[in-house]
Amino acid sequence: MQISHTRIFQLQRLSAIGLVIFLTTHMVVAHYPPGHLDFSRVIERMAYPLWKGIDILLLASALVHAVTGMYMVITDVEKVGRYRQVLGWASIILFTVAFIYGTITILAFRLPAETVNLIP
Amino acid sequence: MYKTTGFFSFALRRITGVALALYLFLHMWVIGSINQGQAAFDDRLATVQQPIFKFLEIALLAAVVYHGVDGIRLLIVHYFNVAEYRRSLFYAVMVVSALLIIAGGLPMLMFALGGH
Amino acid sequence: MATNGTTRTVTIRLQRFNPDVDKKPVMKEYTLEITSDTTILDALEQIKATQDGSLTFRRSCRHAICGSCAMNVNGRNTLVCNQRVNAHLDRKGAVTVRPLPYLPIIKDMVVDRTSFWEQYQRVKPWLVPPDDVPEKEFRMTPEEVAALNDAEKCIMCGACYSACTVTAVNKRYIGPHALLKASLRVLDPRDTITNERLIEISGNDGVFRCHTIFNCIDACPKKLNPTQAIETLRKLAQKREAFVAARKERQKSL
Repeated sequence: MQISHTRIFQLQRLSAIGLVIFLTTHMVVAHYPPGHLDFSRVIERMAYPLWKGIDILLLASALVHAVTGMYMVITDVEKVGRYRQVLGWASIILFTVAFIYGTITILAFRLPAETVNLIP
Repeated sequence: MYKTTGFFSFALRRITGVALALYLFLHMWVIGSINQGQAAFDDRLATVQQPIFKFLEIALLAAVVYHGVDGIRLLIVHYFNVAEYRRSLFYAVMVVSALLIIAGGLPMLMFALGGH
Repeated sequence: MATNGTTRTVTIRLQRFNPDVDKKPVMKEYTLEITSDTTILDALEQIKATQDGSLTFRRSCRHAICGSCAMNVNGRNTLVCNQRVNAHLDRKGAVTVRPLPYLPIIKDMVVDRTSFWEQYQRVKPWLVPPDDVPEKEFRMTPEEVAALNDAEKCIMCGACYSACTVTAVNKRYIGPHALLKASLRVLDPRDTITNERLIEISGNDGVFRCHTIFNCIDACPKKLNPTQAIETLRKLAQKREAFVAARKERQKSL
């Protein structure tokens, strides 16, 4: 498979726009005002499927942006140039593994059975 | 190094970018403790809420804000023919980032210093 | 040398390197009298004539058109033939001249520009016109000519190439000079190998390696804009097939 730099560029721009939207939302909603964080505070939000959807989109944007960014940073060095095919595959594997793990994590936020009826 | 505003913004973009990418995986590891149950999650979350981390989070906010605002500048340069205003754009990014970091960082600083 | 009468004494700090003697470059200071009209090139000539005949530098036309005398003055790349010493003096009345950065030094101010020319050749800087040349001339619209106007002023001095942070760490990168030339050829409606050009410049060493640092614009003594040329090529590379089809259509009515 040939690595297309046009595609990397487009992925990076697309995920950048995704990040501006979702990361801003994430930081304002999840971390403001700053306060002590524990399961009970996180689950207030994570109990809703919509938030899980938004968080999965945030996860995908952040991972795409991070992985393409790291790939470009590393391959900018001349001597690394000849390993770029290997690095490309490593990036794709890293993205896939991290995305699956992150999605499992997001879906793992479930209300404990005994407290379900405490939250309206 | 050939030092210009462009080089400075590039260096900052690289440093914050690499730092944020590493932080992303750290963040996923912390949140991932939910897979071992609610108790493990609360435990690990408490570890990363010691005072030192509250100050580090302000640095994190600064990195995120700078990287994001600088990225918007690059989008502007890509879609509009404004390369001749490169220095003004650079200072605009600095001012906007500084304002956002102060606005977001002050409540965090109060909280880190023991407020609510 | 033209003079308006008043002279002043200044210090010229030069980076010297003789590969036969020196292990690494050393800075040497020269004191000389200048007038307000003395260019940095004049000062170098004066030092070579009166103080140290071994000083080596490239120069030719003295009219900012040959592109031989690009050097690094006080940390900025520029041509030395159109810059007056007076304009570059620091607070202590000194000016520092070094060879172009990030390139291998041959001697004193002379750098090895092999990679510069190799990357230039790589983008096929010549025009490849259609086979059936019209009897009189190609007819281009004023807008099409205007789009080409700026890039043709490039004098190949190497100031932008040597200022670029990306080429500093990666000599495989095509470089701002060659990408500017590539945009000149890609935007030319007479060119027939547009597809090939766009594939080359969108590859691993092409326009997507540019990190929009703007050093090339800052360095260019002709006030050209390689960054914008690169942004244009990025847009065209993303819609390559449509652009090439439009080009074929356009050439029917040249």
